Amino acid sequence: MSNFRITEKSDLNSQDYLIEVEAPHVAERLRPGQFVVLMTHEKGERIPMSVQKAEDGRITMFIKRLGKTSLELDDYKVGDSFYQVIGPMGNAFPIQRYGKVVWCSDLVCGHAENYAYCEALHKIEGNHVISIQTFPTKDDVYSEKELRSVSDEYYVTTIDGSYGAKGHYIDVLRNLLREREIDIVLGCGDIKMLKEMADLTRQHGVQARSVLRQIMVDATGMCGACRVFIDGVMKLTCIDGPLFDAHKVNFDEVINRLGMFKKPEGVAKEAYLQGREG
Amino acid sequence: MEKNRVPMREQPVEDRIHNFDEVPLGFSAEEAVAEAKRCLQCANPPCMGHCPVLVDVKKFVKEIAEHRFKDAYETLKTSNPIPSIAGRVCPQENQCEGVCTLGRVGEPINIGKLESFIGDWAMDNDIEEPLDIVERPEKVAVIGSGPSGISCSVDLRKHGYQVTVYEALHKPGGVLQYGIPEFRLPKQIVDRELGYLEKLGVAINLNRIVGLNVSFEEILDEFDAVFVCTGAGAPRFMRIPGEELNGVYSANEFLIRTNLMKAYMFPEEYDTPIVVGRRVAVIGAGNVAMDAARCALRYGAETHLLYRRTRTEAPARAEEFEHAVQEGVIFRELVNPTKIRGRDGWVESLDMVRMVLGEPDISGRRRPIPFKGSEFREKFDTIIEAIGTTPNRLFLERAEGLEVNKWGGIQVDENLQTRIPGVFAGGDSISGGATVIQALGEGRTAAQSIHRYLSGKN
Repeated sequence: MSNFRITEKSDLNSQDYLIEVEAPHVAERLRPGQFVVLMTHEKGERIPMSVQKAEDGRITMFIKRLGKTSLELDDYKVGDSFYQVIGPMGNAFPIQRYGKVVWCSDLVCGHAENYAYCEALHKIEGNHVISIQTFPTKDDVYSEKELRSVSDEYYVTTIDGSYGAKGHYIDVLRNLLREREIDIVLGCGDIKMLKEMADLTRQHGVQARSVLRQIMVDATGMCGACRVFIDGVMKLTCIDGPLFDAHKVNFDEVINRLGMFKKPEGVAKEAYLQGREG
Repeated sequence: MEKNRVPMREQPVEDRIHNFDEVPLGFSAEEAVAEAKRCLQCANPPCMGHCPVLVDVKKFVKEIAEHRFKDAYETLKTSNPIPSIAGRVCPQENQCEGVCTLGRVGEPINIGKLESFIGDWAMDNDIEEPLDIVERPEKVAVIGSGPSGISCSVDLRKHGYQVTVYEALHKPGGVLQYGIPEFRLPKQIVDRELGYLEKLGVAINLNRIVGLNVSFEEILDEFDAVFVCTGAGAPRFMRIPGEELNGVYSANEFLIRTNLMKAYMFPEEYDTPIVVGRRVAVIGAGNVAMDAARCALRYGAETHLLYRRTRTEAPARAEEFEHAVQEGVIFRELVNPTKIRGRDGWVESLDMVRMVLGEPDISGRRRPIPFKGSEFREKFDTIIEAIGTTPNRLFLERAEGLEVNKWGGIQVDENLQTRIPGVFAGGDSISGGATVIQALGEGRTAAQSIHRYLSGKN
C-alpha cells in the first residue's frame, strides 16, 4: 500500500504538466529551496524533483515530458499512487529580507522554484520581488497569474516574441541591472543562460544564486554523482545545495556532467515508446 | 584426520562473469556434515576468541557434525543475528579460520561456509528460534539499518524494548543492500534475514533521513535512548585533476547503481542506467574495490585494479581477491594515479606513477613512495575510485551536540556512549570503515550499554 496518491494532474502546455500528490510528511516539512526524490514504482529511478507548492499534506510538481520516467508518468492518473515521494531533501533557502530580489526561470526548468521562492520572499517586509519567466512561445506560457500574485513586478518573455517581451529572461535582467539597484538575483533553468546570468551580475557587483539540478542517485550524500566544484572545492548538490553562489560555479563542468547518461536514457526512452506502441 | 577441506562448489568462471548470481554454491547437508566432522574440537578452541561477536564455533560445528542443524542454528543465533550474511562476508581468514588449529597441518575448517549453510538451512525450513520477550515500555531509536543497527535492534528487542529503526534509503540493510553485490551476497538473503527483525517486532521506518526529514531533536524527544549507526556512506575522492569528468565514479555510486538500483537489469526491468567503458580502472584494493572490479567485469569491461602498495598489504578478503583474479581482473600493484585526462568531457586516459615501498607507517604497512621518473599514461574510459569512505556529514552537520573524532567519526566512550547521555553510536559511523562483523559486534555492545543505561534509570 502506498500513500502517495495523485490528487490532481493537468497539462500546463504541450510539454509540461502539473502533478499534485499526497505526501503529508514531506508537505509538512518542505521549505523553499528543498526538493523531493520521486520513485514512480519499485524498480524506478530515484529522481530529484522540484516542488512548486507544499500545503494541506500535498505537494505540487511541474514535470516536463523528456525521458522515460517523465513519459511513463503520463500513464499515471488521478487516484493512482507512486511508490515513494522522499524528502524534503537539500537545504532550505533562508527566507529573510534581501531588498530587491529577481527570480528567473526559463524554458528548460525552474518555474516551480520561481513560484516557491517568490511566494515566501514576497511575504517578508522590505523585499521587492521581481519574477521573470521565459517560454518558447505564447501557447507554452503557464503560471503567469500565480506568479503575478506573489511578486511585486512580473515579466514574461517568449523566444519568438509572440507574448510578452521578445527574447530570454537574460534580456530583461540586463536592463534591470543597468537601470535599477538590484540586491540579489536567483535563477534556475538552462545552464548556459545561468552562466550568462552569473557573468552579468558579476559585472554589476550583484550577488547571484543558481539552483543546480545535477544527476543524483541516493540524494543523501552517498554516491557523489552530483558533485560540482565551487571555487574549485568539491561540493555535493544533494546535501550542500541545490542552491549555489552563481559566481563560484563552474558551469561548463555542470553542463558536461548533465550529459553523462544521455545514451542509456535515450535507449530507455526508445524501448519504452516501442513497448507502449506494441 | 582429514587435512583438506570439502571443496566448495562454485559457478564456473566462464559462466559467472556473465551474470550477477552468487559465486559459491554452498554446502549440501552431506558436505556440511563432512566438513564439520574435520573439526578437532580443541580443548581450548582459539576460534571463538577471534570472533568479534564471540560465536561458539566449536559448539555449532559439533552440532553440524552430529546432524543437529536446528541446535546449530540456535547456537549461532545467540551471538550472531544474521548468520547467512556473516558467513558470506566475514574476513574469516583474519578471525576464526585464521587461528584454527587445523590450519597448522592442513586447511582450517571452513567456518564461514558452515555458518551460512546453517543460516540458509534455517530460512529454507522456516526454523525460528524460540522467543519469549518480556515487554518493557522504554523506546529506543536506531538510526541506520546496516549491520550494527540490525544486531543492536535484535538484542534490544529481545530485552523487551520498543525499537524503531530509521533508514534513509528505500530498502533496509545499509551496506548489505547498496554496497555488497548480489554475486557475493544475494539480496534475497538480506531481505530474509531482515525479515527476522520484523518478526521480532522491530519497526523499520524507511526513507527517513535523520537530520533532514526527521530532526535529531524529534528523535531525542520521542525516545528514551538512541543508537546512531549511520555508517560511513560518504565517498572519498583522491582529489586529483579530472574527477569532474564523465566516466569517473566513486565506488559508492558504481555500487549503488548496481546493487540497490539494479542497473545491470537496465532497461528491461529497472530504470537506473550505468555507463561502463571498454577499459576500466578501479583504484584501491579493499573489498569495495574488488566488488566494483568484479561488477565492471560483469558489465563486459577489461578491468584493471590499480593499487599503490602490493598484494601483501591489500586489505581485501582473500576469497574476494582470488575470485576477482580468477574472473580476469588484472591486478596491478605499486602504481598510483596522478591525473585523469579527458576528451570532450569524458575520461580518455590516466596518468600514473610507479611506486616503491619505503619504511612502515603508523598502520605498520610499508609506505608507498613515488618512483621519480616513472610517470606513464594509459588509456581508460571509466575510472572507479574505491579508496575508502567517511561518515556521512549530512547527519553529523545536522545533529547538534555530537562530538566528531579526528577520523571524522562520532566520538564515543568505552561504552559507546556519545557526549549526549542516552545517545550511543557504533559501526562505521565511529570508526569510518571496518567490517560487517565488527559492526555487528559494536551493535551488540551498544545494546548492552543501552540496556544498562535504561535499566539503571528505573
